[in-house]
Amino acid sequence: MPRHRPRGDRGLERLRSFTAENHAGKLAFVAAALALFLPVPAFAHASDRGHVLLLPTGYYLVGGAFAVAVSFLVLALLPPAALDRFWRRRLALFTLGDTARTVVSLLSFAGFAVLVAAGLFGSRDPLSNPLPLVIWTLLWAGMVLAQGVLGDVWSWLNPWYGPWRVVTRLLGKDGGEGKGASPLSRPGCWPAVILFLAFAWFELVYPAPDDPARLAWAAGLYWLVSFLAMLAFGYEDWSRRGEFLTLFFAMVARFAPLGQDETGRLFLCWPGAKLLAAEPLPPSGVAFLLLALSSVSFDGLSKTFFWLGLFGINPLEFPGRTALVGIGSFGLVLTFILLAAAFLLAVLLGQRLAGVAKSGGAGLLVWSIVPIALAYHFAHYLTVLLVDGQYAIVALSDPFSLGWNLFGTADMQVEAGLVAGAASALWLWNFQAGAIILGHLLAVLVAHGLAWRLEPNPGRAALSQFPLTLLMVAYTVFGLWLLATPTAG
Amino acid sequence: MDKKPFDLSKSRLTRRTALKGLAAGAGLAAAPGFVRYAQAQSSAPIKIGFQSHRTGIGAAYGRWYEKTTAAAVKAINAAGGINGRPVEVVIEDDGTDPGRGAEVVGKFATQHKTDIVFGTLFSHVVIGSAPAAGEAKMPYFVVSEGHHVASTKLNRYVFQPGITDVKSQIQSMAPWIAANAGKKVTQIFPDFAFGYDHRDYLPPALKAQGADVIAQIAIPPTESSFTKYFPQIPAETEVIYHVMVGPAVLTFVKELGEFYGSNRPQLFGFIDSLEAVDINSPGLEFLDGSHFWEGSPRYAQADDSAAQKAYRAAVGIDDNGAAVGDPKDVSTAAHMFGCWETLYVVKKAMEDAGYKGPEDRAKLVEATEALTEFAEGPEHPQGPKTFNGKIHQCFGIQNISKVEGGKLKVVHKTKIEDGLYEPEGDYPKQAL
Repeated sequence: MPRHRPRGDRGLERLRSFTAENHAGKLAFVAAALALFLPVPAFAHASDRGHVLLLPTGYYLVGGAFAVAVSFLVLALLPPAALDRFWRRRLALFTLGDTARTVVSLLSFAGFAVLVAAGLFGSRDPLSNPLPLVIWTLLWAGMVLAQGVLGDVWSWLNPWYGPWRVVTRLLGKDGGEGKGASPLSRPGCWPAVILFLAFAWFELVYPAPDDPARLAWAAGLYWLVSFLAMLAFGYEDWSRRGEFLTLFFAMVARFAPLGQDETGRLFLCWPGAKLLAAEPLPPSGVAFLLLALSSVSFDGLSKTFFWLGLFGINPLEFPGRTALVGIGSFGLVLTFILLAAAFLLAVLLGQRLAGVAKSGGAGLLVWSIVPIALAYHFAHYLTVLLVDGQYAIVALSDPFSLGWNLFGTADMQVEAGLVAGAASALWLWNFQAGAIILGHLLAVLVAHGLAWRLEPNPGRAALSQFPLTLLMVAYTVFGLWLLATPTAG
Repeated sequence: MDKKPFDLSKSRLTRRTALKGLAAGAGLAAAPGFVRYAQAQSSAPIKIGFQSHRTGIGAAYGRWYEKTTAAAVKAINAAGGINGRPVEVVIEDDGTDPGRGAEVVGKFATQHKTDIVFGTLFSHVVIGSAPAAGEAKMPYFVVSEGHHVASTKLNRYVFQPGITDVKSQIQSMAPWIAANAGKKVTQIFPDFAFGYDHRDYLPPALKAQGADVIAQIAIPPTESSFTKYFPQIPAETEVIYHVMVGPAVLTFVKELGEFYGSNRPQLFGFIDSLEAVDINSPGLEFLDGSHFWEGSPRYAQADDSAAQKAYRAAVGIDDNGAAVGDPKDVSTAAHMFGCWETLYVVKKAMEDAGYKGPEDRAKLVEATEALTEFAEGPEHPQGPKTFNGKIHQCFGIQNISKVEGGKLKVVHKTKIEDGLYEPEGDYPKQAL
């Protein structure tokens, strides 16, 4: 083909393309104008939420609220010391050394590097490329829950610890984990709050969080910046104040029925029991935990007919994320402010009501949010885990779309039907609603135990919990409503 | 036609190999200094940019569009590709978002350097992306069924050759409704653009058949309970024509059933309301005996052609229209055939144009405009079609199916002529 045209043709070609461009520009304008009034068939899917709409979800809302309220009354009548003793029981297991931790983390880092490369050079399809599937489904949706059940496995699996050990060794640094006095002690964990907000915005508001290449850049840069911060401020210090994943994972791991004491011995305990021994969090820590819960709540809220209706958006003709960046950003921050205000108000009111003089209650009581955050996380991401988890298993076998079959799963059929239809909707709803209600029951229990630490008088401790319990009852209803109300998509 | 249906049983191509390769190619093409010598070779693949609703509200449809596309590409490649060149599909997710749709078209043009862009379903994404396709002079083959292409208000690079547009679909329902269901029709539709197509196109079509729309009930899109609207249905109504969409459809049907009991008017709907939803779901019992438009039948029919059977097997749907091996995963059968057929139109047009590469895109546009009809067969299993090059739109037969014994049984196939209308413009008059 004439790829090299005679020079004489060029002028004509340029003229042609110029007029065509003008024409195209005009057309673009016309089409944009048309988009406002042209009849637009939409295919708003009669999704599985349609089956939920036929379930008697109202009973669950009432029943859930009732269960949480009653649990408060029952706890108020129980002798706190006995309950505390019972709850603190531990079953010692065996000692687990951390010699392999560096190696495991290095392997994890290698895996991460392969995933980032896959994001840059693998398939452009977010359901075939392993990077978005691993980051959003396995890591964000799955790892949080794994931490809540198994304890802090992330301290082994994170991709920073191993490389940090190796580099500090090579640089001749002491390799200590920076547990001493820190230049960062003053900002608390505000860096992590800001970074988590950025993460949540990227996940929930940014138009293309699943785009493999963009995610590769975002995740790769985040790894690098965190790594440099760890070199500068110490691994431990940055992990507690700046690296939001490690901080959040460590917080939810405190709920797990499996733990490890200072001597390295593993033990079994009641779920949530480790929260009782937690140190009060600084204001930044309170903000962090509340932001984590509010962001997942907003993700649910942002798709509801109710929320879209507030802004005059037709949910059956959902305009796409690009058109909703402003509303989404606003909503993400608004949800956080509302939750934080309600929480602080409830704690303050409770202390007023019971005449508790001791300040700093919020820093301790905020730990009771952990079971709720875990419950929301489970309920919210359950279907994603079940379906996209399968896509992840397939994609990992062929990360670069080169026809590989590393784990023998490359041709596995993804069964989307697992979460489809009325029968699935029924059991999914029951699991989700059960998790929300159980999470709040445990939250009431944890708050009860923590309140007793703040106020040894059982009567006053219970009274101080009254407003917080009301908040938890309300949040139970809100959580169930999010799962039951009509949503877009 | 004496073409034989595809026999893919001996093909060793898997779904993944049909769509593989694009990744490394994309990476290399993006690398600076990479000279695409391969372009000059006749064996270099034809690259099709698939603008796919992988995420966002269109994802349930996007999944099946992807499956159908993969199956068609596999079949085309197994039979020698296009002009002897293999077909390679590059998927980019548009998030069912018009903003990203335009961006993705740009990426196909400049980064992946695909030969065409293909596969968009949601109309607002088509409308948002069409200007970018026009600017890049990128042939853009959509599978959307919207009237936007045929309205000639987009641009010369946009085609819809694989699925009939909604105006034609609605119009072609009128003769059957008037002759078989009743002459007094009440329409219930969601109060936005999707519903307005039905509100505007059905009454004149019925009028021409001696029937009338006696009431039009528009339901606010955010409504989730419908009982209060039903008293507006005139008592003399013989047919309720309903096109509700969204999660509340099941509630709508259930409440309509509670309102009427066993003594109801005829019901006629578009399967769009229940695409990818099991027709036997609780709440839908009231639909038994009612009728639906279907582009391509969800359920296997007794008189299915060999081509239809081969198509269903290739895509991987069972006799109930669900994924083989995953019976709860109900397909979007009424629409997704359009991906299969569109790819064969692209193949035909590229072969007619002697298409060699992106420099021949204008020739491809002209060759597509010159097409006039597509015979029923392996390449067009849904049925025969005509193509109007002036408005870049195909016209085909439609199915009217009755819900019977928990299945949709085709009781009538419309004629192509039932859905024809006067062209509203002339794309070939626009400069290329």
